[in-house]
Amino acid sequence: MLFARWDHRITPYLFIAPFFVLFLVFGLYPLLRTAWMSLHRWDLLDGPVAFTGAENYTALLADPHFYNALVNTLSIFVVATVPQLLAALGIAALLDRPSRGSTALRAVVLLPNVVPVVAVALVFTQLLGRDQGLVNWALSWFGARPVDWQAHAWSAHLGVAIMVIWRWTGYNALLYLAAMQTVPRQLREAAELDGASRARVFWTVTLPWIRPTVLFTAVVSTIGGLQLFAEPRLFGGTSTGGNDRQFQTLVMYLYENGFDRFDAGYAAAVSWVLFALCAILAFGNAALLRRLVRRG
Amino acid sequence: MALRRGATVGRVRAGRSLLVVAALVLAGCGTGAGQDGKLRLTVATFGEFGYEPLFAEYERANPGIDVVGRVADFDSHHKGLITALAAGRGAADVVAVEEQYMPRLRQSTDKFADLAQFGAGELRDRWVPWKWAQGVSGETVVGLGTDMGGLAMCYRRDLFARAGLPTDRDQVAALWPTWEHYAELAERFAQRVDDAEFVDSAGAVYTAVLNQAEENYFAKSDDSFIGDTNPNVRRAFRIAGGIGAKGWTARVTTFTQPWNAAINQGRFATTTCPAWMLAQIEQAGGPEGAGRWDVTAIPGGAGNWGGSYLTVPSQGAHQRESYRLAEWLTAPQQQKKLFVQAGILPSQPEVYQDPVVLEHRDPYFGDAPVGRLFAASSDSVRPNHRGVRDADVRPVFGQALGRVEDGAQTVDQAWEQAVREAKTILG
Repeated sequence: MLFARWDHRITPYLFIAPFFVLFLVFGLYPLLRTAWMSLHRWDLLDGPVAFTGAENYTALLADPHFYNALVNTLSIFVVATVPQLLAALGIAALLDRPSRGSTALRAVVLLPNVVPVVAVALVFTQLLGRDQGLVNWALSWFGARPVDWQAHAWSAHLGVAIMVIWRWTGYNALLYLAAMQTVPRQLREAAELDGASRARVFWTVTLPWIRPTVLFTAVVSTIGGLQLFAEPRLFGGTSTGGNDRQFQTLVMYLYENGFDRFDAGYAAAVSWVLFALCAILAFGNAALLRRLVRRG
Repeated sequence: MALRRGATVGRVRAGRSLLVVAALVLAGCGTGAGQDGKLRLTVATFGEFGYEPLFAEYERANPGIDVVGRVADFDSHHKGLITALAAGRGAADVVAVEEQYMPRLRQSTDKFADLAQFGAGELRDRWVPWKWAQGVSGETVVGLGTDMGGLAMCYRRDLFARAGLPTDRDQVAALWPTWEHYAELAERFAQRVDDAEFVDSAGAVYTAVLNQAEENYFAKSDDSFIGDTNPNVRRAFRIAGGIGAKGWTARVTTFTQPWNAAINQGRFATTTCPAWMLAQIEQAGGPEGAGRWDVTAIPGGAGNWGGSYLTVPSQGAHQRESYRLAEWLTAPQQQKKLFVQAGILPSQPEVYQDPVVLEHRDPYFGDAPVGRLFAASSDSVRPNHRGVRDADVRPVFGQALGRVEDGAQTVDQAWEQAVREAKTILG
């Protein structure tokens, strides 16, 4: 009897415990420790050297390399996310039609997402190679001069964005597809009976219905985009992202400070500013979402 | 961390998951008792140290010890070591540290065992003085020298012939007594050959010129930043930048995949090559490249680029045994074997002046007398002072040369930006 009551009380907590234990160990603890580190001059190897208060943060806010990384991150984010979400919508719309072998197609769409990011980055870096790259070879058919992809900001941002697009378009397409399949049949049929074209049905029925999902993918892409690291790191081979830091992202700058220069305190400050940026953008997106859903 | 694996399994069957954890911990720490009760020592190296046959030999001589090698690439190896040192666990018992990381790592004396306590101080005379000095911090002996990177110049005989230049190694060496002559030769080469460049990158030339100077970015006396005023740095930057700005470089960074491809396709005619690079060129060039390359003296006299140390992280549980292994691996007898078997240049005068070493020739490089070349280079090396924060500013100047090669900046613009960035980094 007693056991049953205990069981009743405690079991639910036990069930949810794994998440909270993991969150405490791998989420909250690093977060707090990083905050503590960011208030110090902290050497990666020797540990805390001196308590400096907000000094790391004031230095960061006056650091041109920080703003450079921020602008690069946002630029790559825009170049990667806008075409990615549009393409995902298109693919989802195509998959939404009943057709033979659609399950297989859906699996194929997800395939790029399953490939490890390092493999993707290495393959694309070779494809976009200056001397031996396949892309430059193809461009030469049209009389174009070989592009030195890493040397210019625009081409480097494009190159990194292509990798991101390759990895995440299918994933987002599947999310859209799942949302599209919840669109009530009657709504579409009614629109079709009224003489609406396929395109019209898509724009006025399907799209408004899946708006929450679109915003969800936008939020997730924003957070993912701000944390972009592996693709540009492998694309350039160093954490500076090119000879003029033309494609150094925020996380690469964090890594450069923490692991190339052993300045863990400054790196911790970068990571907290990054955290704040993610939080602001996520809240902003959520607020936007709430308003749009209410209006819809 | 002595794990009694057998006992755990015998006592509790349900402890299987524990065993998995134990195995993971074992793998992570990389040390402990082997299955047959032997003491297992791990040795972490990067690239090619040629140690595998020596491990077997050491095990035969010391039946109670099991030596396990762990090899990674240069970056992963050092980043992994730094993470392990910061975390206090995960480092191998004996860890190789490359020269460029040494000035910084040897500051953290609490992270490494002081090898002097095991008697390393007695060994000092084995090495050339500068090699020994780079491995110590005050009275603390942090690392024992392995190889060194006496500088020479590798060049393609076929490309030189096409440019109408002499191909004989003595004549080539006579053409470039100084780096200024080398730059002139680059121009002559560029006028005659269209489909290949004179050198792999401006950065390679820069590193070599810089490594021939006694002081680079930091003053030998007080470790203050002198990179902006030191004429050695300025001169190295001007020479390398000049070659880069004229487009006489293939713009491939050493050790990258494009660099390997460029070697394979003969896209550059010269590269500065420390002893350890010969193996890499041979690997990238493949069998069909045999006899195309040759080695000769480098402009500007001698120099050194690279070379490593064996250290014993203080987190290891078997420091004395680890030291004995490291001492044995770096002993003259072993250094000689490594040179003959794998072409790894000894850092001990007794060894590189040994007739076997001096007479060594490399068939891949047109039977060049590499033993004598590198020994001559090593004998006249002037020790090169590297500041504690050398690794923080060095990349900045490399990137500046990259901007020159990209055509994004002039040599002067790149220099100004590099000096500005270096000063900002140093605060």
